[in-house]
This record gives sequence, C-alpha cells and structure tokens, in this order.
Amino acid sequence: MPDTQIAAPPPPGIWTFIAADCAGFGIFFAVFMSERMNNPVLFDKSARLLDLRLGLTNTLILISSSWLVAMALSAADAGRVRKAKLLMMGGLAVGSCFAVLKMTEYAHKFAAGITPTTNDFFSFYFILTGVHFLHYLIGLVVLIAMILALHRQGNGASERIPWLEAGGIYWHMVDLLWLFLFPMLYLLPLR
Amino acid sequence: MAEFAYARPLPRNPYRYVRACAWAGPILLVATLLFWGVLGQNVPPYSASLSADALAGQVRSHAALIRAGMVGQMIFSGLYLVWGIAIAKVMEAVEEDNNVLSTIQIWGAGFTVLVFEVPCAAWLAAAFRPDVMPAPVIQMLYDMGWLLFDIAYLTALQMVPLAICIINDRRAVPLIPKWLGWFTLWVAISFLLPALIAFFYSGPFARTGLLNYWVEFTLFFVFWLLVGIYVIKAVGRLEREHREQDLGA
Repeated sequence: MPDTQIAAPPPPGIWTFIAADCAGFGIFFAVFMSERMNNPVLFDKSARLLDLRLGLTNTLILISSSWLVAMALSAADAGRVRKAKLLMMGGLAVGSCFAVLKMTEYAHKFAAGITPTTNDFFSFYFILTGVHFLHYLIGLVVLIAMILALHRQGNGASERIPWLEAGGIYWHMVDLLWLFLFPMLYLLPLR
Repeated sequence: MAEFAYARPLPRNPYRYVRACAWAGPILLVATLLFWGVLGQNVPPYSASLSADALAGQVRSHAALIRAGMVGQMIFSGLYLVWGIAIAKVMEAVEEDNNVLSTIQIWGAGFTVLVFEVPCAAWLAAAFRPDVMPAPVIQMLYDMGWLLFDIAYLTALQMVPLAICIINDRRAVPLIPKWLGWFTLWVAISFLLPALIAFFYSGPFARTGLLNYWVEFTLFFVFWLLVGIYVIKAVGRLEREHREQDLGA
C-alpha cells in the first residue's frame, strides 16, 4: 500500500538536546552511584532523612502533568485548540505544585540545619535536584509559551504550531529525569 | 576615456576576509590546547584540595613551562573575537529582521577573550617569581585565575544567540545543522555547572573534578571544533551562493 504511506517528518532537532541532556544526567547518576559506593552507610543514613511522602507526591504530580500535556498535544493535533489549551493549563497548574513541594522540602532541610555542605550525599541531593529544578523552571516557561501560542492560534486553525511537539517532548524529559532521581535519592536506602 | 574605466563598480564581495576569520577559531583551538593546556600544566590543573605549600611547589617546579604557555595563550586569545566575527557573518545570512543575535554573539566572543586573558595573567603572575613569593600568594593567584575562568558566564552570551539563530534557520538545507544549534544551547546551559567550583575543593564538582573539569572542558572543545568546522563550510557555501547570484545578475 505505497499510496497510504506518508513520509515521516524529520525528527525535531530538540532530540539532540534531549539526548545530550540525558547523557549529562547519565554521567551525574553514574558519579552519584560511584561516590555512594565509597560510603554507602553515610549515603543511606542521609537518604533516610529525606521526606518520602513529598518525593512520592512530586513524582505523581509530574506524571499527571506530563499526561495532561500529552493529551493536550493530541487534542491540538486533532485541531481542537480550545481543548488543547485547557488541558495544557491543567498541566501547568498541576506541574506548578511540584515547585511548592520542592521549596517546602528545601525549607525543611535548611530549618533542620541540612545544607549542601552537610555531607557528600546532601551535596549531591541539592545539586542533582537543583539542576533538575532548573530544567523544570525552563519547562514551566515552555508550557506558558505553548499556552500563549495556542491562545493566539484560536479554535479551528488548521496549521500546526511547529514547535509544540518539541515543547511537549521537553516536558516529558523533565518528568523522566525525576523518575530516575526519585528512586536514586529517596528509595535506595529502603531496599 | 581612462577615467571611465572605473565607472563600472567592482564586484562586491561581502565575504572578503571572512574565510580567514573563520579559520581563526580552529587555529586558536589548537593553540589553546598547546599553550593553555599542555605547556600551562592544565591537563588537569592543580587541585584546589592541595595545601598552599604543595601547590606552590608544583608551580615553582614548572614555572618556566607555565610562563611560556600563558604568554602564548595571551598572544593568541584575541583570535576568539576574530572567530566570532566570522560566526556573525553566517548568522547575518540567517537573521531576517535585525542583527540583535549576531551582535550579542560578537560581544560574547569578545568577552570570552577576556576570560582567557585575565586568568592567564593571574597564572602568569603566579609563575613569574614563585621562588620569592609566599605559598599562599601563589595559591591565591592560581585560585583567582580558575574562579574567573570557570565561573564567568560570558561564553554563553556567544552560544545562546548562535543556537537560537541556527534553530530558526528557515533554509531547506540550513547553513549550520540544527542539531548543532540544540547541542550548543545545551552546552551553554551546562556551563552553569562550573559555578559550583566555588563551593568544592575535591570531588566531581571541584575545578579538577570529573564533571567540572573533564566533562565541561570536553564539551567546550567539542562545541568549538564542531562550530569551527561548520562555520568554515557555511562561509564557503555563502561565497558560492553570492558568486552564483552575481553571475545571474
């Protein structure tokens, strides 16, 4: 059925960024695990001081937000711009809760006298979650830009916004990276 | 009639000198690896975890090489700005509305020259008369060089506008491949990480650490090499396109 085949669009360039970023985090994870091997007792003892409930809630928040953004993109693909916009706003609203919980978590740690210089584990904890948080903040700006672009486009528009998919892919990466960070930082001592 | 020999305007070549400027990038890259890297004893540098006496001992025993390296680096570093001008010429061919991106890129390249010159002067001063200088002074000069070199976030001023420009290229075959734009953007963001050298004396985030030395400098040199190659190719293509337009007209 050659006539039904459509040439696949070239992969968006954002994949280069995603690949480089995931490789970068991959090195982070490898360095963390190798440093952990030098001092597993300290790492486990410190990791137990993290608030598992906040970490787990934040995992659920990012997954839900990612799901809403995925739904928004398929709505946009179907030309249902208004629905896409609402779903995207939902994704932004749910995703914003991550910042509230993360800041609460940091504040609890600082109040308990735990800082990035407390020990090696907490250096990694603050740097890894901090670098992730930076990615997350960029993601929030991207989501807002996507909502504004959909808003300007209006309903029933046939033309697709070319970078919408790239924005969605980026937001999924923020989610994916957290799905590695959460078990590595919070769950390892529980095994 | 001789005066009318000049009536016909000479064919203008907007890319005159640009190819030479584009080569300034790869040339400086090689010079940097030699002068800053090998002669300057920076592969890897002396650790921040060394005591003042141990670090001063290292500088004293390699002073002549460090001086030669820093002098060479300070002479060559201006080429980074020259390279930035070639990059700007390629960017101008992509820019549609104004030259804001290429202008910021030039300033970023120019400031990067200072990020070479000033730390190299500090390292040179540390190696200038190390035998009569107290060890903590040598350590201070050495640290100051590294803190400025790693933390100044000025090369990002070159990288981010360049990345945006590459990504927005609307040609069917972009002048510079888009993946290189995304890679450049990512390297620019990753350059925030070396700010952590201000807080660590050892480990992966210290100035000699796996992440902040080996990974970050590899990324910088890979960015430099790739953009260097593709800018030379893009300048060649722009020259060809201009010649063909000229013939067509």
